[in-house]
Amino acid sequence: MTAALEIQGIRKVFGDKVAIESLDLAIPTGATYGLIGPSGAGKTTAIRMIMSILFPDRGSISVFGKGSALEAKDRIGYLPEERGSYRKMTVGAFLTYMGCLKGKTRAQAFGRADRLLGRLGLPDVIAKKCEDLSKGMLQRVQFVASIVNEPDLLILDEPFGGLDPVSVRLLKEVIAEEQHRGATIIFSTHVMAHAEELCQQIVMIHQGRKVLDEPMSGLRRQYDTRHILLEPLDAAANLLSLQTIPGIENVKLNDQGCEIRLAPGTDPGGAVRAIAALVAPARIELARIRLEDVFIRLVGASGAAAESQDALRTHLQGLSNTGATS
Amino acid sequence: MSVSLRRIGLVAARDYKATITSRGFLVGLLIMPALAVILLVLIPRILNSRSPDIAGQVMVIDPTGKVAPQLTQTATPTAILQRRSMEAGQNPAAPAAPAQPGRPATAAAGPPVPNFSLVPLPGDTDVSDHKSWLIQPRDAIPQHLAIVVVRPDALVRRANSGAFGNFDLYTSTRIDDNTETTLRDSVRAALISARLRDAGVDPAAVASAQQVMQPESTVVTAAGAHSGSRGLARFLPFACGILIFMGVMTAGMGLMTSTVEEKSNRVIEVLLAAVSPLELMYGKLLGQLGLGLTLTAVYLLVSVYTLGQFSLAGMLDPMLIVYVIVFFVATYLVFGSLMLTIGSAVNQMAEAQSFQGPLIILLVAGYSLTPVIGAAPNSSFSVAMSFIPPVNTFAMIARIASSAPPPAWQIWTTLLVSCVAAGLVVWFAAKVFKVALLMHGKPPNIATLIKWARMA
Repeated sequence: MTAALEIQGIRKVFGDKVAIESLDLAIPTGATYGLIGPSGAGKTTAIRMIMSILFPDRGSISVFGKGSALEAKDRIGYLPEERGSYRKMTVGAFLTYMGCLKGKTRAQAFGRADRLLGRLGLPDVIAKKCEDLSKGMLQRVQFVASIVNEPDLLILDEPFGGLDPVSVRLLKEVIAEEQHRGATIIFSTHVMAHAEELCQQIVMIHQGRKVLDEPMSGLRRQYDTRHILLEPLDAAANLLSLQTIPGIENVKLNDQGCEIRLAPGTDPGGAVRAIAALVAPARIELARIRLEDVFIRLVGASGAAAESQDALRTHLQGLSNTGATS
Repeated sequence: MSVSLRRIGLVAARDYKATITSRGFLVGLLIMPALAVILLVLIPRILNSRSPDIAGQVMVIDPTGKVAPQLTQTATPTAILQRRSMEAGQNPAAPAAPAQPGRPATAAAGPPVPNFSLVPLPGDTDVSDHKSWLIQPRDAIPQHLAIVVVRPDALVRRANSGAFGNFDLYTSTRIDDNTETTLRDSVRAALISARLRDAGVDPAAVASAQQVMQPESTVVTAAGAHSGSRGLARFLPFACGILIFMGVMTAGMGLMTSTVEEKSNRVIEVLLAAVSPLELMYGKLLGQLGLGLTLTAVYLLVSVYTLGQFSLAGMLDPMLIVYVIVFFVATYLVFGSLMLTIGSAVNQMAEAQSFQGPLIILLVAGYSLTPVIGAAPNSSFSVAMSFIPPVNTFAMIARIASSAPPPAWQIWTTLLVSCVAAGLVVWFAAKVFKVALLMHGKPPNIATLIKWARMA
């Protein structure tokens, strides 16, 4: 598979702050990569350099074999984190303009924009002015602007920020369609649950450095499961008594029951059996590997982070509420 | 780094369309022609049509007995109009519509012509006994306007100074400034006539001797001789300066505003995903250039039409219009690029004010110089200013529009200097623009802008 994007040893410094340090990355055509890390890790800076909006102080970036994204802009779709629109323009005019800038004819751009708006639950907004739309509607319009040119490389920087769950679901469906169409997707987020759900490969960035570049399947194999989710049959059951079971490191109560963290080296199967013996379960399951935990383990192991684990968890916003389970 | 002309054209077209259809621009576009129509056509008509008839009585106390008879001739509406024509350098004998009290005989003849009724009193009358005559109710008819008291020595030269005696004027509150001035001039003319008659000189002969009509000047150049209107020659340099100023100001402000809006709306990064910063900058420059040209074209058309109303359109050299457009483009590239730089560097229009102030001062200075340079187009100052950017374009257009245009090599040199200046400014603007577009937070100072230019 040929590379859609190749980054070699890029570095970017703003004043005294090193935003990106020695970043290498190769993304094959058709892959979906998750670029994750806490706020301020350097994700947006990396993306801006990929887009040739910023230029690295050192290193090289190649997009579809071209020396710069400027030479392949018509093949790229980009939804920036800080996105806006021309308030006085109609949605149709705005999307047609963006499509034309990316090499489409007016008819092609308008037709695809109309179809995508309908797909995203906005069939009647094409003649409305952007300033007349709600924030959520405008975000969907901006998403359409990023894919109106049928890009071969789609870069989405925090695409779900501020969206309601229905809109998030619609966007995920369209992203999946773009995947099926063969587009290469780079998906940047600090909400790691989204990356777990959508991405085949995860690239983690912390303090400007790449700390992980692994396929999701490899991560699941590589990092053993250390979480068990329990929903007791009896709502009044004493869940804190589970802490007496050997190998259980921590029990964290929640609305449904509790989340049990296992000590390193504990056999998950034995732990499930011991828990079920103590508290009758309505539901008990091994949680899938969570990127949050991977990230904290990596950063903690490398010693690169001065922060405490709690501070890191705080940086990884949204994880506690949106962690995916299976 | 290559740029796509297609994308530049698309950005330019969007910027042009967005600005030209905005309510603010349309109002701004119409203001100048509307002001021209109001100033040149409507106001004179309104003033003339609504001027109240000025008629009233003037008491005259003339101990000499020789001035009052002259005043009956110099204070008539016809005599007043004749004096005004002579002062304006026109032929008083030229046919004109008959003068009516309260209305001038011609549209350009000035304030309304009053109709004075003289009330002669005996020469030994004491004015103190009659001052109360000037005090009357506002609606009293006839109006008592003034009392003229000719001094006894008004026709006699004093032995010590050789000067004649004068007259005194007492006025009511119902006489306005123009009417009082007209009355003073009439008394003055009557005094002169009386003195001349006293000296045995025919006043009509003196009046004829004083009449020298302003001839139409003929400018002789290497290309031949052509007649020119003195008034037009004085007005044209300033008009050309104003045209360039208005176009550059409107387009430059449009550039700055649209860039600030794109930054504050956060649409800039969406755009940069589709176009390079340079394509965006060139597109915006081009779009607003089109806007400025549209504005200049509209104003030129209005100007030519207005000149046509005064039968002066034929005296306008078509090459002057070409020069106005060329120098507009050169001026716009310098000031427009700087305004674009400011727009890219700040986050809100309020932050732009401290930067745009010096630019606007330079622009105003440029067109303020045009009447000065137009009056002395080949002075050392005018020639020097023609080569000093960014005001050189204003200086040169003023010289070209003047009655003594500069040699061709100076025009070409000014153009060359303007091109070099525009190139340097666009180059600087491009450097800052690339870096500043994505900068938010504290607005930069000049040092920061230079630092950004070095970074790019």
